[in-house]
Amino acid sequence: MASRFRDRYGAGPVHLLAIVATFVVAAYALERALELTSSPDRILIWLGGSIVAHDLLLFPTYALFGVVAAGILVPADRRDRVRIAALNHLRAPALVSGLMLLVWYPLVAGPADRGFIRLTGLSKDVYLERWALLSLALFACSGVIFALRLPRLRRAASRRSDGSARASCGSGSASSPPCP
Amino acid sequence: MRLPDIGPFRPGFWRSPLRGPWLASILSAALLPLVAVCALTGFASHFAYDTDLGRNAVWGGSAPGNGFDLYGLDWPAEPAWLYAVTQGLHVITGVAAIPVLLAKLWTVIPKLFENPPVLSPAHALERLSLVLLVGGSLFVFSTGVVNIQLWYPFGFSFVPAHYYGAVVMLAALVLHIGLKLPVMRASFRRSGVARPLRDDLDHTEAEPEMPRVVTSAPRSPAAPTLTRRALLAGVGATSAGLAVMTTGQVAGGPLAELAVLAPRGRGRGDGPNDFPVNKTFSAVNIPREKVGPDWRLLLHTTDERRAELTRDELLAMEQVTAELPIACVEGWSTTQTWTGVALHDLARIAGTADARQVEARSVQPRGVLRKATLNRGQLTHPEAMLALKVNGADLSLDHGYPARIIVPALPGVHCTKWVGKLVFS
Repeated sequence: MASRFRDRYGAGPVHLLAIVATFVVAAYALERALELTSSPDRILIWLGGSIVAHDLLLFPTYALFGVVAAGILVPADRRDRVRIAALNHLRAPALVSGLMLLVWYPLVAGPADRGFIRLTGLSKDVYLERWALLSLALFACSGVIFALRLPRLRRAASRRSDGSARASCGSGSASSPPCP
Repeated sequence: MRLPDIGPFRPGFWRSPLRGPWLASILSAALLPLVAVCALTGFASHFAYDTDLGRNAVWGGSAPGNGFDLYGLDWPAEPAWLYAVTQGLHVITGVAAIPVLLAKLWTVIPKLFENPPVLSPAHALERLSLVLLVGGSLFVFSTGVVNIQLWYPFGFSFVPAHYYGAVVMLAALVLHIGLKLPVMRASFRRSGVARPLRDDLDHTEAEPEMPRVVTSAPRSPAAPTLTRRALLAGVGATSAGLAVMTTGQVAGGPLAELAVLAPRGRGRGDGPNDFPVNKTFSAVNIPREKVGPDWRLLLHTTDERRAELTRDELLAMEQVTAELPIACVEGWSTTQTWTGVALHDLARIAGTADARQVEARSVQPRGVLRKATLNRGQLTHPEAMLALKVNGADLSLDHGYPARIIVPALPGVHCTKWVGKLVFS
């Protein structure tokens, strides 16, 4: 009996009970949220829209930037430490700057300054400048640190390519390069 | 049934060697305490509004189905910093969770394109519950984060939607934890909790497959360009940075200087009234004459007027002075030195020294939060006052001149400004 249930359903009965209980609670909460607002359709749009906005807009966009940057800086045939470090010194400030923009978007780049001024008595035009300066500082710091690391990275990269040449040479096969 | 192997549904499409159950688990372990604190403090905020008193409920009243109440329990007036801390934590942990949540979604996104998409009824239901988890989380975090920046593009009532959206998210989260705990345990047992953090680039490899579980680990991984510890350090540093900025608008002091991108982290000058304003005088459309020399404080019981006081008469009474925070539901707070008449003295003048509660009404013509009812503990607290001055100067119009409520640990929106009437009952 129990094993037949498992064969058909794909998990034990507790799994089904837990899922049903979750759906009941979620349905109740959703019903309350829709009941207590004047525009329930907007809640559903926001709920579905947030999934679409992340999965089909935000993620593909930043992933595309990442793939393009990696493709340019670290092409498959030129994977060395210097290039990988350059990529990461670009990735780090881009991550922080991008997330700051995402989280504080309404302050930094959002519309409707009028409501903000009316409520707080302050204008919000400082935020775009602050975000831009912070981002600039992050990219600059990352660039300086990269420049400082560069000699050591170069030395390591050349040692490594020597090492790999030595490791793959003279292994007996006809195609291996001659040892220096 | 398999979908055609195209685009993201192709097994070789997802190539990052970092994705896999260990990365998902470690991010979940970081996310869980943040979400737990955020949820608990969020429910605490509902509790702090004392929605079962008077007309305090912002939505739906005190009947069942309007939030979970702890009936019979009043929000305390001690310690004074209570709401500043709980609501500050709510907003700080909420903001700090966003980078971790997005990193977690980055880690598991290949599973959105699982192929075949459905393996069994159990698997189908589980994936359906993830719609609630992901949709609920994105809904709650996005509405919260735009709300603290005073941007309301969503067009529905924020409070009940944010509240019940959180209930949807938490229900799905409890299920998710129950279903995924075995995967987390297995991956920590296999890889160690922290061992992958020690791997340098040469030792960064894709996670092996797990028996009987579809994971986000890639089938044909690309060569790594990043270590797992660097990825986690980046996410952690961003999360910490956002937390520090947000903390600046709660803690004040030197930390306030770091709140460069937080909505309420800005000084307004050095004057006694130069601290943040939730709603300015001009935003609430009060006619000037209502707060001019003809202003009177009316003391009522539920059925009759008991007294009428001018501002000078109030100033001639015994004054209390206390250094207390106003803490906003948006997660910022500011501590100032307030001076005014103790609420229990006003209750005595109204002949209701044993009043169980008091409703403070503003002369503000419109707005749900123009009145608030205080419980017995708040009413009788020695530092609970009708404030007339701040930092030794008269209140400014923006801060509630002629008089405003200041009560320890009371949510800022209940510290009614431009008070015209107190109704004791």
